[in-house]
Amino acid sequence: MAFLAPLFFAGLVALAVPILVHLTHKERKDVVMFPSLMFLTKIPYQAVRRQRIRNWLLFAMRCLALILLAFAFARPFLTRPAAAAPVRGVGARELVILLDRSYSMSYSDRWSRAVNEVRSAITGIGGNDRASLVVFDGTATAATEPTADKAILNTAVDAVKPGAGVTRYEPAFKLAQRILAESRLPRREVLVVSDFQRVGWDGRDSPSLPAGTTINKIDLSEPKTSNIAVTGVDFRRDYAEDRERVAITARLVNRSADPRPRHTVTLELNGRAVETKQVDLAPNAAATVDFAAAPLPGGVTRGVVRSADDALPRDNAFFFAISRGQALSVLVIDHREGGAARSLYVERALGIGDQPNFRVATKRLGSVTASDFAGRSLVLVNDSDLPGGELGRRLLDYVHNGGGLLIAMGDRSAPRERPAYATELLPTTADAPIDRTADRGGTLGYIDRSHPIFELFSAPRSGDFSTPRFFRYRNVTPAPGDEQLARFDDGHIALLERKVGRGRVLVFTSSFDGIWNDLPLQPVFLPVAHQLAKYAAAYADERPWSMVGQVANLPAIFRDSTGPADAANQAEYVAVAPSGERTRLAGTTRRSVELTEQGFYEMQRAGSRGEPRVVAVNVDLAESDLASVEPQLLTGAMVARAGTDSTVAGAEASTPVEQERRQGFWWYLLAAVLLLLVGETMLSNQLSRRIAVPR
Amino acid sequence: MTTQQALPGLQFLDPAALARIGNLELVARTVVEGFLGGLHRSPHLGTSVDFAEHRQYMPGDDIRRIDWRLYGRVDRYYIKEYEADTNTNFNILLDVSKSMSFGSSTVTKLDYARTLAACLAYFANQQRDRVGLVTFDEDVREIVPPSAKHLPNVLHALARAKPERGGDIERVFRKLSEQFRRRSMLLVVSDFYEDPRKILDAFAQLRGRGNDMMAFHVLDPAELEFPYDGATSFEDIETGERIPVIPEYLRDQYRAMIRAHVAEIERLCGDQGVDYALYDTSMPLDFALFNFLSRRQYLTRVR
Repeated sequence: MAFLAPLFFAGLVALAVPILVHLTHKERKDVVMFPSLMFLTKIPYQAVRRQRIRNWLLFAMRCLALILLAFAFARPFLTRPAAAAPVRGVGARELVILLDRSYSMSYSDRWSRAVNEVRSAITGIGGNDRASLVVFDGTATAATEPTADKAILNTAVDAVKPGAGVTRYEPAFKLAQRILAESRLPRREVLVVSDFQRVGWDGRDSPSLPAGTTINKIDLSEPKTSNIAVTGVDFRRDYAEDRERVAITARLVNRSADPRPRHTVTLELNGRAVETKQVDLAPNAAATVDFAAAPLPGGVTRGVVRSADDALPRDNAFFFAISRGQALSVLVIDHREGGAARSLYVERALGIGDQPNFRVATKRLGSVTASDFAGRSLVLVNDSDLPGGELGRRLLDYVHNGGGLLIAMGDRSAPRERPAYATELLPTTADAPIDRTADRGGTLGYIDRSHPIFELFSAPRSGDFSTPRFFRYRNVTPAPGDEQLARFDDGHIALLERKVGRGRVLVFTSSFDGIWNDLPLQPVFLPVAHQLAKYAAAYADERPWSMVGQVANLPAIFRDSTGPADAANQAEYVAVAPSGERTRLAGTTRRSVELTEQGFYEMQRAGSRGEPRVVAVNVDLAESDLASVEPQLLTGAMVARAGTDSTVAGAEASTPVEQERRQGFWWYLLAAVLLLLVGETMLSNQLSRRIAVPR
Repeated sequence: MTTQQALPGLQFLDPAALARIGNLELVARTVVEGFLGGLHRSPHLGTSVDFAEHRQYMPGDDIRRIDWRLYGRVDRYYIKEYEADTNTNFNILLDVSKSMSFGSSTVTKLDYARTLAACLAYFANQQRDRVGLVTFDEDVREIVPPSAKHLPNVLHALARAKPERGGDIERVFRKLSEQFRRRSMLLVVSDFYEDPRKILDAFAQLRGRGNDMMAFHVLDPAELEFPYDGATSFEDIETGERIPVIPEYLRDQYRAMIRAHVAEIERLCGDQGVDYALYDTSMPLDFALFNFLSRRQYLTRVR
């Protein structure tokens, strides 16, 4: 039984009234004249005697009347499950069982209870009824077609296990809506077996069920839950000589009202427990655990942070896969005549930071060979001519194959003498420099902050581009397809992007040497230099883990920046899930695999014997918040959307009469209250008459 | 009967009660001194035909009362004593304090008491005893001296008696001890809301004068059973004092106390030779008289 307006139970406070009345014994107004009080005054008159309740029957009747009155106003309704409460009505029934299999259902004994409830519902199916089993977490799947065969349904129930997904009710109800809409049976029912997690329903986008649908619900949530989850890890890398070490910090949250002192947390790397620590977790609080730095071996390192077991084991482990930092190799080409450290600022800027780690090599143009381009992520031509001849063509090939090229123009870049191939890399024309020294230098007037380079600075107070002064810069004319990423305050182009093959070319129309501008002296120079280098080199941050429900795009995982463009797309792949399930991806239609399990996925090109790519997958931690929504709200929303005579059960019926019958319980309570009050009046009058009052 | 109806106050004499007592006349004559003159014995020794005892001659005695025949046998002077065979004074001392106005039914204690007194006065008068009446509360209210002709006066006084004040039996009896110079039969009718020892002290002042005393204790059934229910205030009729009472809680203790009070009065009366009888106003009047006279007879035999 549940209540539509449980706040009215506050009226039970009124129970204090009869208690006080019966304890205080309000004296009668008429006074008994008595010949002498000589005996009465001798009897000790104790207050405690006044506090004893007499007339228990009268007291019980009064209290019961008040309790029933509060119950009546709380609007009780029956919440019997569908199996226990056969729905009245006429005709066969179309039953859709929505079984929640999100990982929160593995909490304590929820799953066994859920299975029992579903089996009970299947048992209650009549001969002409049909039922279908829909299992859902983030997505909904019909485990069976509508059938009257209980064996099929029971087999389907046996096959279902709680997964690693999060709860979402909308897909389940949409599927139920479709099944019911296609049914021609006169009665339609939906049985929701779930823990009704709050995270699964945002109060919007509730699908509307067909008219006349009865929604029964079985709430498996507990009033008090306790759960500890590992919510994430952070990495701090440090490099000593050629060795790389990583210090891991794990975050834990205690989602319960009880403290957890000395909770055990273990770090495993490549299947071996490296360190175990204990942490004190306050109620409903988070804590971090710092593990000692460990050297990273070559290849991919599989790591797991495990928390001690609790009632919900899924979120006790957090998986990640890390490898040694991907250093970006940068070749800086100076003018052949060299000069007084024209590349000093940019070298120093790229030398700072470990995400990524830049390895910078600087050469003069005359000393650069074709082999210098091999393995480079970025070539920075800093105030120099482009190489000519064979070296120039190799540079062009390098860019076509995905290499990054960043060109900074200065007074020695001599654009007028550029080789023929350079038209693919450089703007159409580059005139003599524009001198802004007369007006104390120009500033940047426009920056495309939506571009990945400048997106970092789109937030307020993150990068001040108004202070750098540009005294000289080249006036360039962009070719069609060139993208202008920044312009000076006079409208001339400051930064230009051109896509060449799979590579990117960025042209900065001023220099990085601090002569044509004071940009290297400004705080914003360091992040700008990093962003320019990372973008030009097509650098992507490593993703140590993915979440259940995401999709792994295998060509993207296996794409080699220096490899052929189509090789990755045409290859055949094999993905092995943590459970051992192998998925073969061939052809061009299916190039991705949905990550549905928690743990490590291994991806490999078919036939390859190399080390597989590893994708660590974690469960969505929103599901670890076990707070539940009032089931009546959820199912009521489905009914409200229906807008007709769909009803919510537990106490629901398929017709208004039936609905009133389930919810009309309060009438009987009120009648009982009336009878009790009448009885109370008669009894109290009788008790009053029993008092002999002498004249 | 016509004579009876002509007498004021005869409305107290319940005819049924009188008829029943009438059947008891033979018993009453042998039991009640003064009630049935000539048939009952006088408590005083005097000149009569019924020899009582010999007493040694004391100087001052009338030498005509010396039993010379006994002198001839024993050579000593003895006086012959005879039981007096005279009519006696029968005084009714009626408590008319305000507590006597209490009654849980239509009959108050005072109604019952004066009816009882009227009955006894009537029978005493029938026996040619001298009948007197004293009404008292905290003081003596009215005195009708004992006389064979004072029955109408007694009945008038009974009819006029009104409960108006509180009671003080000790003070009244001390005062009355000077009143009854001739030894009399004294019947005290009261509810005796007083310390039993004080009551008996008051009796002792009258008994010291040689009076024969009887005590009729009149109580209402509500005073004995305390049948009240519901929290309420009780007000003392005499003093006006009020106390809140939950009768259910006090009933048992009250009953025990009133029983102890009655028992104590009865015990002390027995010790001092005072005939005591408790009358419940729900008790039929004739039954009450019969009960009393029967008891009186029994006590006489024992004596």
